[in-house]
Amino acid sequence: MRRLVVAVLVALAVSMITFVLSHVAVDPALGVAGDSATPEDIEAIRVQYGFDRPLVVQYADYLGRLITFDLGTSYLSNRPVAELIGERLPATALLAVMAIGFALALAIPLGVVAALRPNSPIDRFALFLAVTGQAIPNFWAGLLLILLFGVQLRWLPISGSDTLAHFVMPMIALGSFATPALMRLTRAGMIEVLNADYIRTARAMGLSRLSILFRWGLRNALLPVISLTAVQFGFMLGGSIVIESVFAIQGIGYLAWQSMSRADMPVIQAIVLLVSLAYIVLTLLADLLNAAMDPRIRTKA
Amino acid sequence: MTIRMRPVLTAVAACALLAGGPALAGPDDNGLTIGLGEEFPNFDGYINTSRDGVVMTRHIWDTLIWRDPADFRYRPLLAIDWRMVDDRTWEFDLREGVVFHDGSAFTAEDVAFTLNHYADPEAGARSQRSVSWIETVEVVDDYTVRIVAKTPFPPALEFVAGSLPIYPSDYFETVGPDGFGQAPIGTGPYALTGIDGGNYILTRNADYFDGGGKGTPSIDVIEVRTIPDTATRIAELIAGGIDWTWNVPADQVAQLSGFPGVTAELGSTMRIAMIALDAAGRTGEGNPLTDIRVRQAINHAIDRETIVANLVGGNGEVINVPCYPMQFGCDAEAGVVYAYDPERARALLDEAGYGDGFSVDMASFRDRARAEAVQAYLAAVGVTANLEMLQARASFSAWREGQIGMWYGDWGSFSVADTSASMSNFFNGGVNDGARDAEVIALLETADSSVDPAERQASYSEAIRIATERAYWVPMHTIVMGYAYNEALDFTPHVDELPRFFMASWR
Repeated sequence: MRRLVVAVLVALAVSMITFVLSHVAVDPALGVAGDSATPEDIEAIRVQYGFDRPLVVQYADYLGRLITFDLGTSYLSNRPVAELIGERLPATALLAVMAIGFALALAIPLGVVAALRPNSPIDRFALFLAVTGQAIPNFWAGLLLILLFGVQLRWLPISGSDTLAHFVMPMIALGSFATPALMRLTRAGMIEVLNADYIRTARAMGLSRLSILFRWGLRNALLPVISLTAVQFGFMLGGSIVIESVFAIQGIGYLAWQSMSRADMPVIQAIVLLVSLAYIVLTLLADLLNAAMDPRIRTKA
Repeated sequence: MTIRMRPVLTAVAACALLAGGPALAGPDDNGLTIGLGEEFPNFDGYINTSRDGVVMTRHIWDTLIWRDPADFRYRPLLAIDWRMVDDRTWEFDLREGVVFHDGSAFTAEDVAFTLNHYADPEAGARSQRSVSWIETVEVVDDYTVRIVAKTPFPPALEFVAGSLPIYPSDYFETVGPDGFGQAPIGTGPYALTGIDGGNYILTRNADYFDGGGKGTPSIDVIEVRTIPDTATRIAELIAGGIDWTWNVPADQVAQLSGFPGVTAELGSTMRIAMIALDAAGRTGEGNPLTDIRVRQAINHAIDRETIVANLVGGNGEVINVPCYPMQFGCDAEAGVVYAYDPERARALLDEAGYGDGFSVDMASFRDRARAEAVQAYLAAVGVTANLEMLQARASFSAWREGQIGMWYGDWGSFSVADTSASMSNFFNGGVNDGARDAEVIALLETADSSVDPAERQASYSEAIRIATERAYWVPMHTIVMGYAYNEALDFTPHVDELPRFFMASWR
């Protein structure tokens, strides 16, 4: 219950900050009015859209509508924001799920193998991959992928979101960014767990190597990985602005970028709110999952 | 590691197979796939005035008359003839037998409805300038219509030919403005037949009338794809995913020309770049830029010839006036020319009391290299320009809200070949005006509203002389547009930056 209250407060704070920032950063009336608008046009728009009212009143109005799930209407397309977001959510969600799946599929086996033989060539290689993955900006990784698979080999479609194949390169570009942290955490967790007393006990009891590794080892090592996965997943939902633009995926990130460049405030506010809510829910879920897997955390919560 | 990688590669290959051959439009089926950078919030040409939006508008709808992009002369389109009845009234004889994409007939009623609807500010046309001059539009008979201006409005035909598409009144009233913006119908050479996210399908209008200035379209289907990232668009072009794109940076045009099957070129445009200076002191009263000597010094400090030769490329040219020389009224001779002379710049700064220099905020958006070159030239005479590269709209807003002292921006005049669309947009006392010079404002008012071409020309010339003498801008150069397309495509770029695919064909 306490967690829930905190979560609601955080969401409220986020909504307030985005609202104030987006009204202070640019004059929304100028954004709506267009390039050749006269001062009278701008004034008319200011009144028509209610930008002339005190910020507090505008915010209260916004919150009131938010409670009834009315996200407002886009200034530019005159369409409900909820509809715009609903159209684009599937592409972003699919990309985020694929990317986090890709990252985990790569990070966990690599982390386990590296932990089994610390400082071996395999470990070094995994570390090298991790450092490189983190050092390459993801738009550049995206372009490299496009050059290799799209232009040279012509295996994959370069941009768009029509088929699953369109998501393969963005998945790699986005996932490879999350891989290093997940892998290092898996490796560290595994090394720690494998040196724990209960593993030695399990070995002494003559349990099979695989059973020790997965049933007792990995399960415990993964606890922090779950929390990090939740954070990374939230990052992918909101932070794929660059990747979605590079690969022309019609998702939330691209919508956010577009709305920012056109000062379409209702859309920006809704997206920021949505992403922060996703973060809040995901962290909550991760905590619950951790509790389910580790009784010690449950009692603390 | 090889063992681990194999399943990944297999999966990748499998996905590629699953996708199959993409059903892209291309020369084989007389289709064309184009890549644009910006998605449209709306198709309504009065609402969506972005450059890519204007391009779409010209394909889906027709205007009453057509300005030939080759010689800038007016030719018949929906109107077959037109005349001035008095100094505020134009009469148009309409073409008979024209039908909208839904089969309904085009008549004078549609013209009157569309223009009267958008002349009302409540209708929310984004470019009020295009419509605010219209007082009313009257139906004379089914195929004759009159447009009455509020006051004598010389560039009327420029707007009639450029930014006033005609909509079907019955359909528009049935679906409403928002419905129309999502599912538009017009008389144009192409009909919008599909919207899927940022992808649109335009299908050739088989019933398109003969004898109009747009000719008869050749390409059957145009698939429009929104690809925001320039590098991705270029990669798609090389890989054959798209057949045409624009906004290709000048340096990449040179590289792209080397690729087999690709034509890349820089086309001149009527877009002009300028550095607008805060002469009116919007960023703070008494700031250095309010001193005419400082503004003249800045004009002398920048070597525009070198910037144009090295960083603009193509047919880019230095301009010395705050308008595009091909526009009516843009008297290139009237401008005071400031030669590159850093010594003189330093002397002027010294005289103004800024011998030790000063610092100023400058925003720009189109080209970082050019903005940094300007920054370096200013630094050489002691002026520190704090450069901020922003998105186009954000940087323009910063200028209009008076937050920056210098704006290295550019202006396309909505492709209107009249100085009222360029200089008057920046020196009329409105938010774009950083000079707020009463004399210039008065001269432009006369020039914009007089029906006597000689008086207009004289007023513009004088306004240009004063604005350049007082150095309100550093007029910089014309902008060149980079195009890249499949070499089998017969395509001609025009200076008004409006690609016309109804005039394109496969060789």
